[in-house]
Amino acid sequence: MKHLILGAVSALALTATGAMAQDYPSKEIAGIIQWGAGGSTDTVMRAVTPHAEEVLGGTVVMQNITGGVGAIALNQVAAGDADGYTLLMGAENPLLYKVMGLGQKDYSDFVPVNVLARGTPILVAGKDAPFDDYAGMLAYIKENPGELRFGSTGPGGLPSVVTAMINAVEGEQDVIFVPYDGDGPALTALQGGAIDVMPAVLGAAIEGIKAGAMKPLVVFEEEPVEALPDVPTALAANAGYDKYLPWGPFFGIFVKAGTPDDAVAKLTAAYKEAAEQPEFLDLMKNRGFTSLNLSGAEAQTFLDGWQSTTAWLMQDAGLTKSSPEEFGIAKPAE
Amino acid sequence: MDALSAFFTVFTDLKLLSLVALGTFAGVYIGAIPGLSVTMAVSILISFTFSWDVHPAIALMIGIFMGGVYGGSRTAILLNIPGAPSAIATAMDGYPMAQRGEAGTAIGITTVMSFFGGFIGIIVLALAAPSVSQFALTFQPRDYMLLAILGILLVGSLSGESLVKGIFSGAFGILIGMVGMDPLTFTGRFTYDLPLMQSGISFIAVMIGMFGVSEALAQLHHLDTPAIKQKITRIVPSFGTIKKYLPLSLQTSTIGVIIGALPGTGGDIAALMAYDHAKRVTRKPSRPFGKGAIEGLVAPETANNAAVGGAFIPMMTLGIPGDAVTAIMIGALFIHGLNPGPMLMVEQPDMFWFIVGSLVVANFFMLIFGLTGIKLFTKVVEMPRAVLIPMIMLLSIVGAYATNNSITDVYWMLAFGVLGYFMRSYGYPLGPVILGVILSRLLDDNWRRAIISEREDLGRFFHGIVTSPLSLILFLAVIFIFFSQTPLWTRLKARLLPARNEEAR
Repeated sequence: MKHLILGAVSALALTATGAMAQDYPSKEIAGIIQWGAGGSTDTVMRAVTPHAEEVLGGTVVMQNITGGVGAIALNQVAAGDADGYTLLMGAENPLLYKVMGLGQKDYSDFVPVNVLARGTPILVAGKDAPFDDYAGMLAYIKENPGELRFGSTGPGGLPSVVTAMINAVEGEQDVIFVPYDGDGPALTALQGGAIDVMPAVLGAAIEGIKAGAMKPLVVFEEEPVEALPDVPTALAANAGYDKYLPWGPFFGIFVKAGTPDDAVAKLTAAYKEAAEQPEFLDLMKNRGFTSLNLSGAEAQTFLDGWQSTTAWLMQDAGLTKSSPEEFGIAKPAE
Repeated sequence: MDALSAFFTVFTDLKLLSLVALGTFAGVYIGAIPGLSVTMAVSILISFTFSWDVHPAIALMIGIFMGGVYGGSRTAILLNIPGAPSAIATAMDGYPMAQRGEAGTAIGITTVMSFFGGFIGIIVLALAAPSVSQFALTFQPRDYMLLAILGILLVGSLSGESLVKGIFSGAFGILIGMVGMDPLTFTGRFTYDLPLMQSGISFIAVMIGMFGVSEALAQLHHLDTPAIKQKITRIVPSFGTIKKYLPLSLQTSTIGVIIGALPGTGGDIAALMAYDHAKRVTRKPSRPFGKGAIEGLVAPETANNAAVGGAFIPMMTLGIPGDAVTAIMIGALFIHGLNPGPMLMVEQPDMFWFIVGSLVVANFFMLIFGLTGIKLFTKVVEMPRAVLIPMIMLLSIVGAYATNNSITDVYWMLAFGVLGYFMRSYGYPLGPVILGVILSRLLDDNWRRAIISEREDLGRFFHGIVTSPLSLILFLAVIFIFFSQTPLWTRLKARLLPARNEEAR
């Protein structure tokens, strides 16, 4: 008797889940954005999602859950059900949580739906800086050790990675790091003369560069970028950068590992199509982002490669709390 | 000529006009409910208006912004619960007025003065945006630090009877603000390795708890006293009244525009600074401050609405947000294919004039919606307490949850509510706690930025202060305001200015 009831219940449960997967999405989907309203991640997610909703035939309600460099949002989604009704909309930061001691979970607990785009790092200087190019900056640092003020956004942020790259390629630079909440406030400080140089993402700096409010020194790309064709690349300045490029912050959409394949497939298809919309592509181009639109195995390879390069770069710069080896993050191939 | 037609776009297009009206109306009510914030409403609107043209989307957002900043004063006056951080100072004199049965007058003055402040902000935005933003950019970390110290000194104004208890409250607020991941190095501070402390204590939760729940608990003492009947004979203040407060409101609006234009400071700090300024310059207030002084309403309300225009100044001229709401609007402009930045004014001046026009229209609608429906609103205060108290509790819980969709915030809110009740009972003022929380980060971050920039050398730091005119003025202001609160100054003043002192008595 007991067995019969149990059997009936589990059969019922099976049909129920079966039906749910078939009808996906049968209810509202929650999109948890790791970063605050108005930031790059927020803008990108709010721009791409309406297109995906159309394909999906459902609604995605987005909310910003901030704090702990995005870890609060990530942990919340990881603690929820793997039913495809909660999406994590995030940036690159979680891939460094483990080595930076910021959390025990990262994207390896998730399945990538889409890695939408990648940003280009650029080094910009204030318009009154006593040098005009990358070589000039290095010479200035050599002549005035400990004087030049770099903006930073805390360990694991883009400036810390770019600075680690510069130190790895050019040797240790003696400069001051002035911490800011993000590249927006730091670029404001750059224009006010509170800092001299800022490693930023191209999209955040481009309007200021066009207006002459800041000087571009070098873009961290292999080829010159379309938006600023005259700015030299890091690779042209020093071939040593070859080892690390292309590198950049990225935006991606994830679901918890264990989500039914059907839901993952539907979400993947929806976001893939959404990320091909000309309006979205224009927006990405205007903000200086390189569209990637990666999903499935391609996305996973991208994430693994990114994590390996960056985690080991931070490790070699002595900025990590634990070695990438402890978490099984492979050393990048030489 | 193009500028003029762009400016009048909103006035001539019925659809845009009604969108601004709708936004302003919604804003007043969103602003009035503690925890439902303008920031939240505008970010939801980004997805909602995604497929719209840029003009209607921006028009709606501007309406919500303007209405919401004003709306915070409603609940501050009627229930002693500021609907938004920028209305904290409004509660200090507005609620005592409501308790005297003058809620109608208080709302009337608040509305007209918000309108006035809003206009000053818009005028400065329209006429002097580039020079104001250049000035705002010259603020270095050490200047922000000095500004924060100046803010901390407001404790004297917000303390009421005991300065010592005020200082204690302020210091407690600073401590609350420190909890969580240190934003500059990502090291946990006062977290005791508890996950719930890791992301810090939400300042909105503290505010709602301290003002909302503690008010509801305090009201339990008066269950059997009948509600105060409100006189609503004269809502629109007379021209004479407005004229009387004109000089003060001009000064406080200026404070509002400048603080609003500075990236990183907004209407909340502006309103508190303006309140302090009013207390300092008003020799004969209509009633003592804290007991229902009209000046105590005029100052914060002009300042926080002037800060709206102020916040648009760096946004329009440099693409730098002046506060949290303009930060989201920059995102909205991006999504709609514009490139906010220093070139926006050059390449698309129409957008600038369209925004100025929308602000003007929103300001007028705010006046209209503010002055109508007051009768209904004041009924809230006349409600039986058995209805009112559960309603306050409900709003507080919803508000605390809605800010970050976090149940932890609700627990924090309730804990601070109980704590606030006991602080109130023992005469510890709550205003300074909130002041401390608001200024904690500003002070902490900028002090560290300033000293790191000077290679951690105090000598270089002070050399920087003395050689920069702006820093020097702020530094002298800090010293003067600090000194003016000591008994030494009172004695000195009594000896030097006996006649004037006599008159003030």
